[in-house]
Amino acid sequence: MAKLLVVDDEQDIRDFAKSFFQKRNINVITASGGAEALELIEKEKPDLVLLDIHMEEMSGVEVLKQLRQNKNDIKVIMVTGVEEESIVNEANSWGIRGYIHKPLVLEELEKIVIGELGTKRS
Amino acid sequence: MINCPKTKDQIKVTQINFKKELEAASKSMIMIHDPKLLIKLIIRMIVRKLGIKHAGMVIYEADQDAYVLGISRGEPGLKIPQGFTRFDKESPIIKFFVTKEYKALTVSRNAIVSDDINRLIWREGVLDKTGGNGIRKLLHDVDEQMRMLNTTACVPAYYRHKLLAILLLGEKNDGTKFEQDELDFFAALASDAAMAIRNAQLFKGLEAEALRNRQLFLRTILVLGSTIEAKDSYTRGHTERVTKYALAIAHQMKDNGSFEFDEQFFENLYIAGMLHDIGKIGVPEAILNKKGRLTVEEYETMKLHTTKGVDIVEPLKLPQVVLDGIKYHHETFIGSGYPQKLKAEQIPISAAIISVADCLDAMTTDRPYRRGLTKEEAIAEIKNNAGIQFRPDVVKAFIELCEKGIV
Repeated sequence: MAKLLVVDDEQDIRDFAKSFFQKRNINVITASGGAEALELIEKEKPDLVLLDIHMEEMSGVEVLKQLRQNKNDIKVIMVTGVEEESIVNEANSWGIRGYIHKPLVLEELEKIVIGELGTKRS
Repeated sequence: MINCPKTKDQIKVTQINFKKELEAASKSMIMIHDPKLLIKLIIRMIVRKLGIKHAGMVIYEADQDAYVLGISRGEPGLKIPQGFTRFDKESPIIKFFVTKEYKALTVSRNAIVSDDINRLIWREGVLDKTGGNGIRKLLHDVDEQMRMLNTTACVPAYYRHKLLAILLLGEKNDGTKFEQDELDFFAALASDAAMAIRNAQLFKGLEAEALRNRQLFLRTILVLGSTIEAKDSYTRGHTERVTKYALAIAHQMKDNGSFEFDEQFFENLYIAGMLHDIGKIGVPEAILNKKGRLTVEEYETMKLHTTKGVDIVEPLKLPQVVLDGIKYHHETFIGSGYPQKLKAEQIPISAAIISVADCLDAMTTDRPYRRGLTKEEAIAEIKNNAGIQFRPDVVKAFIELCEKGIV
């Protein structure tokens, strides 16, 4: 079963994303911050990370940067606010599969995540 | 005690008094001007009192031209996070509620309920001899979208046929279906919320327009104040500098406790500063730009710029503080100034402040007939004239500014 890591400092979003993707036969693990995310990526080796850009303790871009500096090329989709082109560009330069703006269209989120996980879903 | 079976209506009454709750919500609507707060209260009431697993409100946001799920409450995992999702105009639920012929399908229920959808699909398929693919497909999509949102019922809220919000409702805790009186109640609540949203939008629009008008007014004042500089070529930038100095002095007077100026005063002082020399438009250029001393007659004509200024701006119906600043900025503390030889406290404070600011700029800029004083010389000059030409508390504030290095 495909494994998805949802990184967001909002509990509501983690809860919702977890139940949303579990219904779609995806194994979902969650992290509430950057440090926890880095640890889980190391330990659980998820297939895809859904990474929020705005987080209190460590920004999504910072998490991404650390991953890439440690030669980890895990697939990442960034979740951003509206009109944050410069941050998206920075994230892009570190290598991401895509990004999606909040407030987002659920169908688009579903499509982009399932598109990335592809055949790994059972 | 006889255990008599309750009728359905009696059970309802013990569960919730819809009328009472609705009245409470309407009352809140009048009291609460922030629609988001009102919707929060409504959603909380629905979830708590009616025993629904989660509820949320999708609200039209003009700046995004989309409907955003702004407020939600309920069980973790089921409720949709606030501000997380949006619905574009092509979104099935939105399309369903804004398209006239589809909307008609929900009129009797005031909502679309997931249990109804299959029945509707079947009925529309039968009714529509052309196959009914459009509406059937849309109903399927709506069903799919509602599943995605863990939603059992969607209640639209309109204002003059415009869809402003949709109330999304999850399952009931006891697993029962929504009764029609419940749906009617939700529709009334949603329409209260829509009205509050609409009012807030109108209010925001009015505020924005008032702000635009005010900015236009202030820019017009700026233009008007600058016109005199086209005529009086030696005073380029004078009006803006005087205004800047005057505002700085007034702020210092407020800070050091000499005067309790409010925000309105500062705006008026800005306008007075920008317009203080506007009357010079009525003074011949030969006098304004004369190199050398003015004759007595010329000086008398020059002095008229104070009263002429007030006459020019008369149609603007400006506040007294502004008119005072224009008219009396050449009065002196000992009463030797013009146009009325006012003395000491008789001189309005706006004029007394502009007087210092005006002299400072006049002294420190070069004129065709003399070089400007240095900053130190000008400061000393103003200091020496405290209680003679200038009001002492204004000079005091000015000196404090100099010490702080602001002027």
